[in-house]
Amino acid sequence: MKRLYSNKMVIITLVLPAILVFLFAILAPICLSVYYGFTSYSGMGEAAFVGVDNYKALMKDETFWLALRNSLLLAVGFICIQHPLAMIVAAVLDKLQGRAEGFFRCVYFIPNVISVAVIAYLWKFIYNPDFGLLNNVLKLFGYQGKINWFSTENAIWSVLVVLIWHGFGWGMLIYYTGIKNIDPVLYEAASIDGANQKTIFFRITLPLMKPVIQVNVTMAVIAALKQMETVYLLTNGGPGNSTQFTANYLYQQAFKAFKYGYGNAIGVVFIILCLAVTVCLNKVFAEKEV
Amino acid sequence: MDAVGKKKSRVGKVVLWTILIVVAAIQIFPIIWLVNFSLASSNEMFTSGLLVIPEKIQWGNYVKAFVDGHFLKYLFNSLLINSLAVIFVILLSIMSAFACRRMKWKLSGFVKMLLMMGMMIPIYATLLPNYKIYNMIGMTDTIWALLIPYVAFSLPQGLFLMTSFLESVPLELEEAAVMDGCGIYRIVFQIVMPILKPSIATIAIMTFLNNWNEFMMASTYLSSPKWKTLPFSVLEFIGEYSSNYAVQFAVMALTAAPAVIVYIILNKHITKGAAMGAVKG
Amino acid sequence: MKNRILATLMAVTMAAALLTGCGSNGSADGDQSAAGSASKQQNTVSGESITLKVFSNLPDRKNGQGLVEQLIIDDYMDENPNVTIEVEALDEEAYKTKFKAYSMDGMPDVVSIWGQPSFLDEVLEAEVLAQLDESDYADFGFISGSLDGFMKDGKLYGLPRNTDIMTFYYNEKIFQDNGWEVPETYDELLTLGAAIRDAGMIPVAMDGGDGWPMAIYLTDLLLKITGGCSDDISAAITSGDFSNPFFKEATELLVKAADAGLFQDGYDSQDYGTAKNLFTNGQAAMYYMGSWESSMALNEDIDEEIRTNIRAFTMPVVDGGQGKSTDVAAWNGGGYAVSANSEVKEEAIKFLNYMFQPDKLSKYGWENGVGMSAQDQTPFMTGEETALQMNFIDILDRATSVSGTPINDCGPSAFKTAIESEIQSVSNGSKSVDDFLTMIGAACK
Repeated sequence: MKRLYSNKMVIITLVLPAILVFLFAILAPICLSVYYGFTSYSGMGEAAFVGVDNYKALMKDETFWLALRNSLLLAVGFICIQHPLAMIVAAVLDKLQGRAEGFFRCVYFIPNVISVAVIAYLWKFIYNPDFGLLNNVLKLFGYQGKINWFSTENAIWSVLVVLIWHGFGWGMLIYYTGIKNIDPVLYEAASIDGANQKTIFFRITLPLMKPVIQVNVTMAVIAALKQMETVYLLTNGGPGNSTQFTANYLYQQAFKAFKYGYGNAIGVVFIILCLAVTVCLNKVFAEKEV
Repeated sequence: MDAVGKKKSRVGKVVLWTILIVVAAIQIFPIIWLVNFSLASSNEMFTSGLLVIPEKIQWGNYVKAFVDGHFLKYLFNSLLINSLAVIFVILLSIMSAFACRRMKWKLSGFVKMLLMMGMMIPIYATLLPNYKIYNMIGMTDTIWALLIPYVAFSLPQGLFLMTSFLESVPLELEEAAVMDGCGIYRIVFQIVMPILKPSIATIAIMTFLNNWNEFMMASTYLSSPKWKTLPFSVLEFIGEYSSNYAVQFAVMALTAAPAVIVYIILNKHITKGAAMGAVKG
Repeated sequence: MKNRILATLMAVTMAAALLTGCGSNGSADGDQSAAGSASKQQNTVSGESITLKVFSNLPDRKNGQGLVEQLIIDDYMDENPNVTIEVEALDEEAYKTKFKAYSMDGMPDVVSIWGQPSFLDEVLEAEVLAQLDESDYADFGFISGSLDGFMKDGKLYGLPRNTDIMTFYYNEKIFQDNGWEVPETYDELLTLGAAIRDAGMIPVAMDGGDGWPMAIYLTDLLLKITGGCSDDISAAITSGDFSNPFFKEATELLVKAADAGLFQDGYDSQDYGTAKNLFTNGQAAMYYMGSWESSMALNEDIDEEIRTNIRAFTMPVVDGGQGKSTDVAAWNGGGYAVSANSEVKEEAIKFLNYMFQPDKLSKYGWENGVGMSAQDQTPFMTGEETALQMNFIDILDRATSVSGTPINDCGPSAFKTAIESEIQSVSNGSKSVDDFLTMIGAACK
C-alpha cells in the first residue's frame, strides 16, 4: 500500500491543477501586491519606490490599530458566542430526524443565501432611532428616550451583533456536516454501553469533531479579519472610524484614498496576521491531544 | 420511565420546540421582509419599523426588475459560471485533499499550507494586479476572467474543509480497496468520494453562495454585457444619488430565488450514514 | 455507476466550457456586427464603421441624468449611422475602482470625471485624459468659471456637466401652517430648529452617514463667514495647516447645530436615501441637499401635498460674517472627458462636443428636471417649470459669489477620505474641534 500511496506521478496529477490555479490567480497578484506595498502607488500612473515607509506609517496609524482591535473583537465574538451556539444547534438538528430536521436546516441557513445588501438594509431599519424595531419595542416597555444605536460609542456593538448573527448559518452548516460524518455505529455502541445524550455528545461527538472545530474556528478568525462588505454597507466604518474593520480599511485606503501602495502594505500585514493566527490555532489544537 | 420523568421530558420537548421555532422565525424574517418591501413603492419603504402594508401591491417592481434588469440573460451567465466553478472546486479539492492527507510524500504538508494560504488573501489586494495580468493575456471580458478567480478563491476553503472531513473516512476502507487491487484514482473517485457526499454538498453550497452575489471582481474584470452576472441587475436601478429602492429589492429577491432553490436541493445531501456499514467487520 | 455519472458530467461540463470559451470570442464579434449590420449598409456611403466606448457613472438609464445621457447617445447614433456607441455603466464606487484599472490599460473613449482636485489631480498625473482645445468651446454658453476645475496649467481636460447648488429644501406649506419663517440668520435657523422639534418634527434631514453633505455644509459656513475663501482653503491644504480662525468658527457652528438637535437623531450614520425619505414623507421640515434633487417636485411617488410645496433657501448669514445671503455654495463637479489613448479620439471628441450642444445636455437635462447644467439654460425654459426649478434659477441669478469646489474635494483623496469620516466625529461631539482640524491637516501631508 505504501508504494501505491507514494506514486509520484499520481501525486503530481492530483495536486497539479490546484497548484496551477493557485500560482496564476493568487500567487502572481500577491507578489505584485507585495511589490506595491513598497511603493507610494496611487492606483494610477507611476509607482515610486518608498521602501518600508508604508509599514512605518502603518505602525503609527491609529485607525489601523482600531480596525484591528475591532476585527479581533469580532473573532472573539465568533469563537465564544457564535460557535458554541452553532455547535449545539447542529447537534440538536442532527437528533431531530425526519422532515423537521430538513426543514430547520433549510430555514436556519436562509439569511446566508440572500445578498449581504439586504441584511445591511434590514438591520439599518431595525436600528433606526425613529421608526426602527428596537426603539419601538423599547417604547412598548415604557422606555422614554430614543437610543441612537449607531452613535460613536454604540456603533461597534450594534455592528458586532449583526455580524455574529449573520455568520451563524455558516458555522452551523459546517458543524452539522462534521456531525453527519461521524459513523453512527459509534453512537450505537455507546448507547448500548448505557451512555446518555449528554455523555455521548461530550465524549464521542466533540472529540471526533476536533479537526472540524479547528477548521471552523480558524476560518472564523480569518473571516473576522476579512469582514468587509457588511460593515461597508452598514456604516462604512463610521461614525468617525469607530466601526472600522481591517479589510474595510484596506479597501478604503487602497481605492478611495488613492493610497494604493499603503493599502497593499495593509494587505501584506493582513496575510502575515492570518498566518500567525493559523499557526497559533494549530498549536492550541495540537496541545489538546491527550 | 416514571411519571415525573415523562413530564420532564415533555416540558423539555416543548421548550426545545419553542426555541427552535422562535429561531426559525428570526432566520426566515429577512427574506419575508425582502419580499414585503419589494412589493411596496420606494416611498413607503422608509416609514414603518417592521413590515409595511403597501397601499398598492407593486407587481410592476418585479416586471421592471425582470425586464430592465436583464434577468434571464444574467441568470444564465450566473448559473453557468457558478456551476462550473462548483464542479471545478469540488474536483480540485478532493484531489488535492487526498494527495495532501493520504498520499505519502515529503512536501504534502507544505503544499497543503501553500494552497490554504489562498484563504488569507484579501480579495481587493488582487483586484488591480489581476486586472493587469488578465488584460495582458487578453482574458478580460471572457468567462475565464470570472471562472478562474472564483475557483481560485473558493478552493482554499474547499481544501481546508475537505482535509478535515477526510479524516472521518476510515482508513480500513482504503486498505481493503488496495487489497482488492484498486488503483489510486479508483480509490479516490469510487470509494472515498461517495462517503464524502455530505462534505461535497457543503463545499458546493459554500462555493456557490460565495460567488453568487460577488460583484467586485465581476465589475472589474468584465466590461461588455456578454458575461455579466446577476449582481449587475441591481445596477440598472441605481442613479447617481438616489435610486429606486423598491425595484432594487425586487431584483435582490429575484437574485436570491435561484440561490435558495440550489441550497434546498443541495442540503438534502448532507445526510448521515454515507459511511454507515462501509466497514464490514 | 456513480463513476460513470461523474465521468459524463465532467465531459459535458468540459465540453460546455470549451464551447463557451470559443463561442465567447466569436459572438462578441457577432454582437457588434449585429448592431452594425444595419449601419454597414450605410458604410459604403458614409465612411468606416466606428465603435465608441462610453464609461458612465450613471447605471440607471431610464431615469434622471442617466436617461438624459442615453437620449443623447441614441440621438448621436441616429444621426451618425456608422457609429456604434457601447455604454458601460457602474455605480460610483465600482466606477472609481474600475477607472483605476482602466488607467493601466484599455480606458474607454469617453469617460465621466469629476472636475475637482480630489479626483482630477491624480488622474492628470497619470496622463490618461486627452487635452481639449478651449477655444472650441467659446460659443457653448458655459457659465463663466465652470471650466476652471477641469483645467491644469492652463490646459483643458474635460467639460462640466452640472452646476450644483447646496440648499435647504423646505416644505412651504408646513412652514405656513405652523407660522414658521425662512430664517435669515444662522441663529434664527437654530431657533427655528428648536421650534420645529417642539412641534414634534425633525428640523433638518441630514445625510450624515456620508461625510460629504456635512463637508459642503462646512464650506457653506466658511463662505458666509469669509465671503469667499477658496484660495485660503487651497493654501491650508497645501500646507496642512488649518489654524486660520475661520475654520474653527465654521466647525464650531456645525457642532452647535448638531448639539442643538437641528438634525435628526442618528443622522451621523443614516444614509442618503433614509435622510431624503424623512423629508419626502413629511417627517422633516427641511432637507440639506443639492440642486439635483429639484426633481423631487416631479416625482409622482411623493405625496402631491408635499412635492408641490417644496422650495429652497440658501444658508443664512452668520452673525459677524462677511458673506451675504446671496452668496451660494455652488460648484461644477461632474463632467466628461476623452481618453488620451483613445483609438478613435477624433470621433470621441466629436461626440463630446455633440453632448454639449446647447440643445442636448442642457435642454434634455432641464426637461427631465435633473438640476442645472453648466451652460446657460434660459433658451430652454418651457414656461412649465415647477416652482422649485424657478426657485433655483432665481438663486443662481441673484448669486453674488459662489463657493467653488467644496472643501472635501479640494485636496488629495486621502484628505477627502479623512475629512469625510472625521467630520462625523466632530459634529456629534466625539472629537474636539481642535483635534478635527489637526487630523485633517495631517491627512494633507
